[in-house]
Amino acid sequence: MTAQMVLSFSIWLALVVLCVSFLMTVWRVIKGPTLPDRVVALDMLTGIVIGFIALIAIRTGFTLYIDIAISLGLVGFLATVAFARFVLSRGGREGPPGETAKAEMIKALAAPVPETRRSPRKKPATGTGPAVRRKAKK
Amino acid sequence: MITYILSLVFAVVWVAVTGSATLHNLIFGFALSTLALWIVRGEMNARGYWRRFGRILSLLALFFKELALSAWKVAVLVVSPRMDLKPGIFAFPLTVTRDFEITLLANLITLTPGTLSVDVSADRRTLFVHAIDCSDVEATKRDIAEGFERKIIEAFR
Amino acid sequence: MIDGFLALLTAFLVLSGAGFALAAAIGLNRLPDLYTRMHAASKAGTVGSGLLLLAVGVHAGDLPTFARALAGFFFFVLTAPISAHLLAMAAHRVGYPLHAESVRDEMKDYDKRI
Repeated sequence: MTAQMVLSFSIWLALVVLCVSFLMTVWRVIKGPTLPDRVVALDMLTGIVIGFIALIAIRTGFTLYIDIAISLGLVGFLATVAFARFVLSRGGREGPPGETAKAEMIKALAAPVPETRRSPRKKPATGTGPAVRRKAKK
Repeated sequence: MITYILSLVFAVVWVAVTGSATLHNLIFGFALSTLALWIVRGEMNARGYWRRFGRILSLLALFFKELALSAWKVAVLVVSPRMDLKPGIFAFPLTVTRDFEITLLANLITLTPGTLSVDVSADRRTLFVHAIDCSDVEATKRDIAEGFERKIIEAFR
Repeated sequence: MIDGFLALLTAFLVLSGAGFALAAAIGLNRLPDLYTRMHAASKAGTVGSGLLLLAVGVHAGDLPTFARALAGFFFFVLTAPISAHLLAMAAHRVGYPLHAESVRDEMKDYDKRI
């Protein structure tokens, strides 16, 4: 019986420790100066959540949770691979966080307006011109 | 003959993993493993299959030892109050040539203490390794070449 | 008797797995640059979640569950270095710099030679 008490106490302790490490990793996701830093932290978050699932499997006794953990690991792995491809294809455009994103958004919103205005051939699509411009102003 | 024994072993593993020990499931696992072995039949005909098995097991044992050691070292480094880091990327000249062996070596390097493989050159001759402690690069290179690389060559050649 | 032993083994695995996860999280916050952080996440983090999965298998105490937990453990241990390597390669090719204290970068010279 004492062994069971040790086990349940250590599961509680491990849950607390995992909570702390989860929050610390989230802090890195928020703070992380570059995109790859955030991706590393997100990958780590997947690992910690797998740990949570394993602990819940021990506490409740449903071993089906193992399959869920494996599926989550698969999804996390594929997500990290996709993020790596994204980092590679996006190139090294990185400024202070927020600034670049804002500049890109402004550019993306501003770009189509002169195009639709200056192209006289798109007469059937005249209705879209003001609508696009209105969206861009917002 | 060996193929039949192997697919029987795989069928038993299948029954163990799926968790229902019925005759139908055993037959299904047997069919599945026969199919899987049929797909890789080109690799199976390589000679010395069983002799190689022991060496692969020894590679696996080395891998787990190094994995435990590396996780422990990273943990100790991280919680020590003054981190003394000399990180850097060094080039490791590869002796293994096949893509499969390079992949395996890169994975093993990533899970060993203080090293992480970053990239392989276009001509497959050089592996770029990030090390957390670059104070003695030659010793690290020698460790990799005489540990993992030699074992991989023994196991898969 | 054997149940007690299994419970103690599970407790040990659970605590060490959580400890490794905590070490990885601390490392993620303390280490100076992307590449060194990757060391912490890909080694200590993987070992942490892998040990917790193994603990489930040990605690259940029957072969199918243990085999599944072992399969999951192998899966994590084999995929973590691949994702870490891919991310490091992408980051370095795109040009995220190493920490200022880094002593050498032989890959940079190589990139210039191409």
